[in-house]
Amino acid sequence: MTQVAVVGVGTTGSHAARQLTQLALASLVIDDDDRRREARVAKAVATTLGRDAIGRGLSDHRDHPDVVVLCTPAGTHHRLATIWLQRGAHVVSISDDPEEVAALLDLDAVARQHDRALVAGAGFAPGLSCVLARFAALDLDAVEVISVYTAGTGGPACARQHHRALKRPGRDWIDGEWVLRRGGSGRDLAWFPDPFGARDCYRGALASPLLLQRVFPEARRISARIAASRRDRLTIRLPMLRPPHRDGGPGGIRVEVRGRRADAVETRILGVMDHPSVAAGTMAAVAVAEVLDGRIGAGASGLADHDDPKRLLRELRRRGVRAAEFSGVPEIAGA
Amino acid sequence: MLVALGMTGLVAVLVRLKGAAGVEPHSGGWRELTSADLE
Repeated sequence: MTQVAVVGVGTTGSHAARQLTQLALASLVIDDDDRRREARVAKAVATTLGRDAIGRGLSDHRDHPDVVVLCTPAGTHHRLATIWLQRGAHVVSISDDPEEVAALLDLDAVARQHDRALVAGAGFAPGLSCVLARFAALDLDAVEVISVYTAGTGGPACARQHHRALKRPGRDWIDGEWVLRRGGSGRDLAWFPDPFGARDCYRGALASPLLLQRVFPEARRISARIAASRRDRLTIRLPMLRPPHRDGGPGGIRVEVRGRRADAVETRILGVMDHPSVAAGTMAAVAVAEVLDGRIGAGASGLADHDDPKRLLRELRRRGVRAAEFSGVPEIAGA
Repeated sequence: MLVALGMTGLVAVLVRLKGAAGVEPHSGGWRELTSADLE
């Protein structure tokens, strides 16, 4: 009798809930502070799972969820994760705030004490970005450099986090130590899968390096950048001047992994083009399936820790989130 | 003097925001991962 709860059914959470209806669940509980939104999403997912299988409002004493999926705005996950781990639930979090992701990883002892899994950063980036990096590294003997680029946002909460990320310093892993880099600096043109194309990307407070460094401690350099428009950069120090879009998609992820295979240097470039809210919701649902199947053990981890990224990508593909690989050769200037 | 400094600053901001046009440093293209890639 598996019960899963989704806490926060904004743009991304509602996609996660919809994806979760594909699992063989006894019940799915939809919880949101906005009761109208909660009712709307509950009604929508009831058409797939059946009205009797849908609950509304997560109750401490009525519900005993096996997994709680946290899709609330970043900054609220640590408290909720602590509560639900202590109540015996596995927790999947899509928070993309690096400080919060670090705090979630620090709950490892709590998760192990209760023999539960806590998956931190199970959304678009971090999340899908980590899976792509792990997949790209599969054929390499040693990983030297990982660069993650992301573009687009999910719902309004994600857009606000994007704005905050650009004005806060980010941490790059360089030669064995974390180096603070100014948010909004380090312009780099990144090419995402077609038809999304190229975007200028900048440093910021991003969580992917944190989750990747755990898995690739030998890498010399791990960095992440996020796409920003001119208006984003011009208003970087100001509050958001207008309400964010309901869905900031489409977007993309580009992950470059450089390393060594035998004696040769090899670079693999993986990417995804999709709506970040859809891909993040799908990634979270796939993480839930892995937890329920016992493929993610007790303790706090990210999706880069998963030892079978092909399996995760297969499952994402089956659900419509398709990864691509860039295959090309360097052009000689002037040739 | 102040006007000149202001104009210089404005131009610098515009140039910084606009940036240089980029070119894709590779030839080739994106290929969707197939079932075979993921086996």
